[in-house]
Amino acid sequence: MGLLYLAALLVSLTGMVVLDRRFRLYFWADARRAAVVSVVGVVFFVVWDLFGIGLGIFFRGETAFMTGLQVAPELPLEELFFLALLVYVTMNLYGAFGRLLASAASKRGVGA
Amino acid sequence: MTYWALNAFFLAAVALVALAAVVMARSARTAADPRRSDTGPRWSAVGLSAIALLITTAVFDNVMIGIGLVAYNPDLISGAFVGIAPLEDFAYAAAAVVLLPSLWHLLPARGSRPSTGTGPSTGTRPSTGSGTAGAPGPSTDSGTAGGPRA
Repeated sequence: MGLLYLAALLVSLTGMVVLDRRFRLYFWADARRAAVVSVVGVVFFVVWDLFGIGLGIFFRGETAFMTGLQVAPELPLEELFFLALLVYVTMNLYGAFGRLLASAASKRGVGA
Repeated sequence: MTYWALNAFFLAAVALVALAAVVMARSARTAADPRRSDTGPRWSAVGLSAIALLITTAVFDNVMIGIGLVAYNPDLISGAFVGIAPLEDFAYAAAAVVLLPSLWHLLPARGSRPSTGTGPSTGTRPSTGSGTAGAPGPSTDSGTAGGPRA
């Protein structure tokens, strides 16, 4: 029960890994760059979150869907996985659209 | 400080990183070896990703707020909503879709070999990577590619 949100995030992240591997979008395109972008991205969004929490703008809801574990006051463990998912979705989309646009352009004889 | 004021600082940081990526790509293009140069963020891909990401954010942010994962101080948000999601929340998606591709292009490519390194947005050499890289997209005939590692 308390694992529901975390489990949903892990399932979604697994989906991103599968798509990445199949189409070589992100880590499978360049693992070193992907690792750096992912760490910097997650840290950036965690800092953003911490300021939002510290300023009292938003806070953790009281819900049975989360584990209740917090990595900082009002920052649930699940948020780290959510932010990792945000980063992974973004870069998989960017990789996929970039590839599609490039192949469309080369089919038209533009670019390439 | 309001949610929008907080977002302004982080969005400004994102803009600076994007600017750095554009400037670096431009100076690389004018440098000696044009094949080596990363072309910088591909803004058309950024735009399409942004559309997908903002729609996804609208759906899932509403679900997350609806089931009570997160709550907001009503005095510090603007009161503009998409459903029950504060408009300010979309700044995260907007930041991600500009910041992360910019960082990607600021980093040196794998091996830094000529024309291999343009990363996830490449595919400018359709015949090379063949295999899985040849037909990646859902709109192309991806299933039939049958790459060596499929």
